[in-house]
Amino acid sequence: MIRLRRRTREALTGWVTVLPALFVQVIFIYLPLAWAFYVSFFSWNMIRPMRYIGFRNYERLFNSADFWNSMGVTGIYILGTVIPSVIIGLLLAALLNIEWIKGRGVFRTLFYIPVITSMAAAAVIWGWLYEPNFGLVNYFLSIFGINNIKWLSDPSYALLALIIVGVWKRIGYNMVLFLAGLQTIPKTYYEAAEIDGATPWKKFVNITLPLLSPTTLFVFIMQFIASFRVFVSVSVMTSGGPAKSTQVITYYLYENAFKYLKFGYASAIAVVMFAMMVVFTLIQFRLSRRRVHYQ
Amino acid sequence: MRRKPALPIRLIVYLAILFVAVIINLPFFWMLVTSFKTEDAAFTIPPSFLPTIFDFRNFVKAFELIPLARYIWNTLFVALTVTLLQLIFNSLAAYGLARLRFRGANVVFMILIGTLMVPPEVTMVPLYVIVKQFGFIDKYRALIVPFMSSAFGIFLLRQFFMGIPRELEEAAIIDGASRMKIFVRIILPLSKPALYTMALYTFLAHWNEYMWPLIVINDAKKQMIQVGISQFVSGWETQWTLRMAASTTAVIPIIIFFFFVQKQFVEGISISGLKE
Repeated sequence: MIRLRRRTREALTGWVTVLPALFVQVIFIYLPLAWAFYVSFFSWNMIRPMRYIGFRNYERLFNSADFWNSMGVTGIYILGTVIPSVIIGLLLAALLNIEWIKGRGVFRTLFYIPVITSMAAAAVIWGWLYEPNFGLVNYFLSIFGINNIKWLSDPSYALLALIIVGVWKRIGYNMVLFLAGLQTIPKTYYEAAEIDGATPWKKFVNITLPLLSPTTLFVFIMQFIASFRVFVSVSVMTSGGPAKSTQVITYYLYENAFKYLKFGYASAIAVVMFAMMVVFTLIQFRLSRRRVHYQ
Repeated sequence: MRRKPALPIRLIVYLAILFVAVIINLPFFWMLVTSFKTEDAAFTIPPSFLPTIFDFRNFVKAFELIPLARYIWNTLFVALTVTLLQLIFNSLAAYGLARLRFRGANVVFMILIGTLMVPPEVTMVPLYVIVKQFGFIDKYRALIVPFMSSAFGIFLLRQFFMGIPRELEEAAIIDGASRMKIFVRIILPLSKPALYTMALYTFLAHWNEYMWPLIVINDAKKQMIQVGISQFVSGWETQWTLRMAASTTAVIPIIIFFFFVQKQFVEGISISGLKE
């Protein structure tokens, strides 16, 4: 046996440790990603052979009313979920950060339950809550004189119904991120403010909010990306309907691929989605480099 | 020490927190109550907040109508296998990246972590084609092989390994122990909390997975629990008591499990901020 130098042996071991993971990720993530780019220039339904059509898939995509509809629906979904779920998450974190409250751990766990349950089960449960005649949501609304909303079958309410589920599902997650951010704020700031007689609200606005801004930005972007990727609730509750009012971009992609078998066209949608993800990530990097540190 | 506010204010704060906790968990309470109601009792106005039947008849019927037991078994098998494989693949790669010096290590790290930027929705079409080429359609392999490693797991473990003092290994190196021996005998035993956290996340993610099994599994007997409980079979659509019984079966064990492991969970997100 050849005795290798220690450095060489270390390098060899290094490669052996990373190769299995590298192999899996290249074959099952990078190869598909590259293939999505490639297939997006072809017309292909998996039955007949692939046919090169240049940029035609993209041309069709950008001229398709359905595509722009799905972009609009996704945009409204993002707007509708990001703002409330970040604000409510922040408020709950601030509440659970109050020192004299007993049982904070229990409440944190209770708020977190929707996060750990599957979106599929959550969507089935909400389907029942939204049932027009006997569902709990309409029952509560009827107390306030609002009657008989057809949550999932009325085009003007279906997206709102999904937004409510999306917010409910993510509040706990955002809250935990904010709680972690709150731990980093030194207690001495609050003590100093108290000596000056600041009210709890003043302390929240003048100390907590500014010092928490890096966390807020991070939560905001994480939530933005999660909302951009919404799929399961749409698939289980509305299948993109009624009248395409909930056809988000992921569901549009899914239908074109696995319902109409337009693999080339679907790949073009995937490429556009990926390009948007890259832009979001770059914005995140840019913003997080500029974010303010108080040390 | 800061002083507590007056009692009425404390009461209001407690009531507000309690109110939010109730509202957030009301859907699960309602699911549970409905699964213990007769069909007639579920469809009354005003709704009753108490169960009407105190036995498991909806559950028995749900298990007869769809192969729930089979789904649970399938999903446990897949989720546990993926978790086990990820423990091996991710910890190995994380160790190499945290401790071993080799040319290209930085590039490898970028490649492995870069996949966080690629959402599964983007690659689902070509991944389906590849998996089909491999002959994996309708096989559990389709749900296991592509997920044997994950950027999140590698990142989490690498962070943890880098925090282990090097002195602990140096003595072993002087004694002539190989790197792999050090990894197995020293690093892994010291990293139980991180491995445990990663395993929990991976198991939960794959227990909850919906989109990918929906695409690659068509055989009803081989389906995963989340797709199983959300798909419609004839006569199933409007039977909300049965559907709630099925959802209860999929959700309540996970919630109970979560109460025991929530500490590892919440700390895991605080460390990485990457995974839900």
